[in-house]
Amino acid sequence: MRVRRGARTASAVLALALGPQAALAQRVTFGPQFVLASYREVTSGLRYQGTGIGGVVSGRYRRFSAAAAVSRVSFDPTNGSSADSGFTATQLDVWLGYDVAAYASVEVGVTHRGADPEFDAQSVGAVRVGARAFSEIGAGATMSFRADYLAAPQFSGGGRAPVSLDLGLDLDVQLAGRLHGTAGYEFQRIDRKTNPGGTGEMDAPIEQSLARLGIAISF
Amino acid sequence: MRRSRLLLVLAAGCATPVVAQTPSLPHSATLRQALQAYDNVDFARVIALARRALLERMSGPDQARAYELLGFAYSATDSQVKAVDAFKQTILLDPDRELDPRRISPKITSLFYSALGQVLVVRQLKVDSARFVGGQGGGSVPIRFTVTSPARIRTRAVSGATTLLIDSAVTTGTVNVRWPARLANGDPVAAGDWLIIVEATAGQNTFSASQPVRITHGSVDTLPHLTSLPGYQELPETEIAPQSWRPVGLAFLYTGGALIGTLGLESASLGSSSKRELGAVGGAALVTGFVMMLRKPASRPAQGNILYNKLLREQIARRNQDIAQQNITRRQQVQLTVVPLAKPSGAGR
Repeated sequence: MRVRRGARTASAVLALALGPQAALAQRVTFGPQFVLASYREVTSGLRYQGTGIGGVVSGRYRRFSAAAAVSRVSFDPTNGSSADSGFTATQLDVWLGYDVAAYASVEVGVTHRGADPEFDAQSVGAVRVGARAFSEIGAGATMSFRADYLAAPQFSGGGRAPVSLDLGLDLDVQLAGRLHGTAGYEFQRIDRKTNPGGTGEMDAPIEQSLARLGIAISF
Repeated sequence: MRRSRLLLVLAAGCATPVVAQTPSLPHSATLRQALQAYDNVDFARVIALARRALLERMSGPDQARAYELLGFAYSATDSQVKAVDAFKQTILLDPDRELDPRRISPKITSLFYSALGQVLVVRQLKVDSARFVGGQGGGSVPIRFTVTSPARIRTRAVSGATTLLIDSAVTTGTVNVRWPARLANGDPVAAGDWLIIVEATAGQNTFSASQPVRITHGSVDTLPHLTSLPGYQELPETEIAPQSWRPVGLAFLYTGGALIGTLGLESASLGSSSKRELGAVGGAALVTGFVMMLRKPASRPAQGNILYNKLLREQIARRNQDIAQQNITRRQQVQLTVVPLAKPSGAGR
């Protein structure tokens, strides 16, 4: 299977965008990111790790926020993996958020990850619905924790996933003026079930963990 | 008898009240001779010369001095009735005449005050300087005088054809009257010279005294706008929070949440993941939290002080609005300045 891993770098900026309203009343942020990722599928023997690049753009107006992120990661089989070749994942994420408090927001969005070659990993698309908590831990430093439910996932290889969750940890630090440093972690668990050949449903879970490190410019 | 007379003479002689109060020499040569005779304690000659001087044409002040000299001489010769009559003439000619009780013998002084109680005069008419906004309540010109015996007192202000009654009452003694310098319709009086006239009437006896004053118009001072309220100062709108464990605590909380979530969501069939991604980001978060804990906290808005300052500014703005309204009114008002002028000689009659 192939999984196209989209950039989740947007979440770091989104965390900032969803920060305290007084500091972030109106802002547009964008920047490049370096991406680390791990991908596992179906069994413990099918493991990949890779690196890549990404980019993010986000905006905020009063209580509303929006962000889009893209990433491209080249995965290679890890030592001991049963896979014999790697693949490249391209992932696109979109978030729309609304602050319900000075420290929390609700969000909806979509995610799509495509794999190249197409059948080396599962391509997946889903709608995300979740919430985020954020805090300013210091002057110009914001952290957030996010939990999204991935609803109605679609897979290139078919199947269904009654439970799919996405966790995120994001950090944004103002380095100097408009220059920010960002870091983000995302863990995605998709309990995919397939029924190949009509022989009965079997589990084919997918897990991906991803770290993003980058800089961003805010206006 | 002779001894007491000698003492009275000595007391009156050393006092020389007439000369002391009016140091200029009289124009009448006869009166000057009478004064010389008084200095020589020759009272018979004083009486003769003073009476002769009164037959001459003399100015009012000289006449008053002549009668006063007669009063002193008659007092020294124990002619009390004549002394009182002479003092009455003195008072009528110069109502403001006073004897210095420190230098004049009590006998002469008592005769003088006896004469004062037997005539109707208005004495010591004084009009104080004043400055106030015309037409407004509270501002007025203080007027005071003394009436020597009960009488109907009418106080008026006169300027050209305009006559304003200030007060009318039956009274005696010291009288204080305040003149608001207002016309009947409430407008301030016109600028110019005015005469404050006090008329006393008791039966057939009448007496009047006057004091000229000058009234000028000026613009009313406007009030300055406030920049602060006395006793209330603005507070700093930012404050430095004390250093605390909160940054690193929050970093642990968020990172721990991500770690627990990851461990909880990991699929058993896929085995344990390497956690290198979480390690990289969680480590960065913890380092950031630690650095933020050590850094001097940035100033943050002090909401209480901001609210206090906002209320203070609103209060000042409201006061300034009131002041602006008052200034609009003040610019339409007139400030009156009242200054008493020199009294013409022989003003009382």
